[in-house]
Amino acid sequence: MKLSVIGISHRTAPVEVRERYALTGDLAGRFLRAAHLENVFEEAMVLDTCNRTELYFVPTGAGDCMDSFLGHVAKLKGLSGDVDKSVFYRHDSQAAVEHLFGVAAALDSQIVGEHQVLGQLKDAYRLAAEQRTARFLLGRLMHRAFRVGKRTRSETELGRGSVSVASAAADLAAQIFSDMGGRTVLMVGAGQTAEAAARSLISAGVRRVVIANRTLSRAEELTRELTGANARAIELDRAGEVIGDTDIVICSTGSSEPVLTYDALGDIISRRGKLLCIVDLAVPRDVDPKLGDLPNVFLHNINDLDRVVARNIERRRQDIPRAKAIVEFEVGEFVKWYDSLQAASTIKLLNRRFELLRQAEIERYGGKFSDSDREQLQRFTESLCKKILHRPIAFLRGLAQDASVSDQLLAVETIRRMYELDEIEAEQNGRGDDLENDE
Amino acid sequence: MDTLLSILNWLLPLVYLALAIDYGATFILRNRTHDRNPGVILAIVFHGAFLVLWGVRFGGLPLVSNYEILSVVAVSSAAVYWAIELVTRDRRAGVFVFLLIFLLQYTSSASLSVMIAHAGDSGHMQAGLGRLHVLPAVLAYTALAFGAVYATLYLVGQRNMKHHNFGLLFDRLPPLDLLGRMSFQSMQVGFAFMTITIITGGVLFHRFGSGGGAMPIDPKLLAKIVIGSAAWIIFAMDVFGKYILKWSVSRVSAITLAGFLIIAVLFVTSLALS
Repeated sequence: MKLSVIGISHRTAPVEVRERYALTGDLAGRFLRAAHLENVFEEAMVLDTCNRTELYFVPTGAGDCMDSFLGHVAKLKGLSGDVDKSVFYRHDSQAAVEHLFGVAAALDSQIVGEHQVLGQLKDAYRLAAEQRTARFLLGRLMHRAFRVGKRTRSETELGRGSVSVASAAADLAAQIFSDMGGRTVLMVGAGQTAEAAARSLISAGVRRVVIANRTLSRAEELTRELTGANARAIELDRAGEVIGDTDIVICSTGSSEPVLTYDALGDIISRRGKLLCIVDLAVPRDVDPKLGDLPNVFLHNINDLDRVVARNIERRRQDIPRAKAIVEFEVGEFVKWYDSLQAASTIKLLNRRFELLRQAEIERYGGKFSDSDREQLQRFTESLCKKILHRPIAFLRGLAQDASVSDQLLAVETIRRMYELDEIEAEQNGRGDDLENDE
Repeated sequence: MDTLLSILNWLLPLVYLALAIDYGATFILRNRTHDRNPGVILAIVFHGAFLVLWGVRFGGLPLVSNYEILSVVAVSSAAVYWAIELVTRDRRAGVFVFLLIFLLQYTSSASLSVMIAHAGDSGHMQAGLGRLHVLPAVLAYTALAFGAVYATLYLVGQRNMKHHNFGLLFDRLPPLDLLGRMSFQSMQVGFAFMTITIITGGVLFHRFGSGGGAMPIDPKLLAKIVIGSAAWIIFAMDVFGKYILKWSVSRVSAITLAGFLIIAVLFVTSLALS
């Protein structure tokens, strides 16, 4: 199979090395344009994420792909000096397909089962299609990869459950509230963790966010950054005033004393008569543990979230064999498809299709001819079929020499569809199986 | 027709058991948790057909004996659950609801002979006012049964959440606010129908009960009045506590469950005294 991948990832190099070769922003597009002009890659697609930079390609066989790839990257990034090739890997043929499907299934990700990589693969393919460097073969390969990604997410536990503290906070809130869109979140503190938690809640559907912070300007800055929600900023000491109308509280200040105390808020919260989810991400804790004893209050601290995350990671780990089985199956299906599009086997099937047609017609009309005429008829139909098939067969044979891999595959697939050769192949395989069974 | 009725009568609990198993699989395997289940509507139609046949065979609404009422409560519970699933698009509570429905229908079906003995004994319950007493009672039982299922689920879920027990139930139960809301709303509906039941029961008693003389009161009726009144007071407290005293969801749910248990005692007492 003429298909390869060259890349660098979190498995082979630390971030300070990876970032030297990262093709971020418009660099991937520029790489593809430059590579397109060269006679080294028939097709190419760049996948660039925070964990990997990879080039999937169909080689022409005209040059050294690794050198070409690194040369273009060095030129685009302005790199000088020797490149340590040992941090790069290359997989060819079926191994390249296995690698891609593993990436799509997020089995090769730093956080196994993460969701972003599938979207990043789609973006990478879209870019390659726009640059016309992804054609029939890469197109088919990528669509199969998307399928692998979807299957592993829907059929296994791999993509389920949060694996970061921030998203675990959102998951906990979702276990308490069915309609996140109608909820109000109070963020106490405006640090990075609070911001990540707020983003997770917003992506879960929350639309109203109040940020209470000691430095009002930082809270205001965060309100501007939190797109997708109606956010407002208040000073920290006013947090108690809004807690009566709040459903979810996320605390992450750097305070050494509790910010939300039972003495100050116990009565207010008790009188609300509705559920309140408090997630305390701060160390030392921001929330007086006594507030968690109130009947409508569900208080979780960083330890609880860590337990949720650890449990989810373990669950994902346990489901890796199932995901690998999906990858293995889909690789098999892709290889089967690829192999079916070889010119030689297609020529055989085409001959068989015409022979069957010929025999059927002779059977149909043969009775109207005398014995001697029937012999003539046999010869005539044989000759006619050969003549009809001569050009298509010559075309198929010529493809192997002249056309690109995608052109070959596309043409062969078109012919197979046109003459329904899959049917013939299935019949032949069935007969083969029957013979094996008989034996 | 009796043979057919008998077969259908025994198929009904099996149908509900099958649904409970199906919902149990959904709950554990976490698949199709947001799809609608066509099996529910088929079960309702099947059960409805059974009740119609029953009515044709015995010439009246199947609301005479407590066992008939249990069967009607079972089918109306299935119908209410179907409506809830349609609105919430959440199947995760189905296993608990259908287990309860299965128990109701099994109890009803197991008492087929009692039902046959009572069927057709139209008496005053088939009269207009009798229907006005029994129908709201059926609806009250149904709604309160729902309230109890959701209250139980809320209390279990709340306990898990409070104790940071992030196990199977944490994953599979619907969100707590949905459980609390469903429990309280079902209880309110049940409370309203129960009030109507008590009023129409009072009128019935006034018309037919004592016969105008100094006859001693029927012990079954006395038990119904005492236990029913106790349950009504508990549900009234629940509504008052929720709206006026701003009671917590857990307290409201616990009281809903307690009220339902009293209703269950009422029902069992009524069966025992039959």
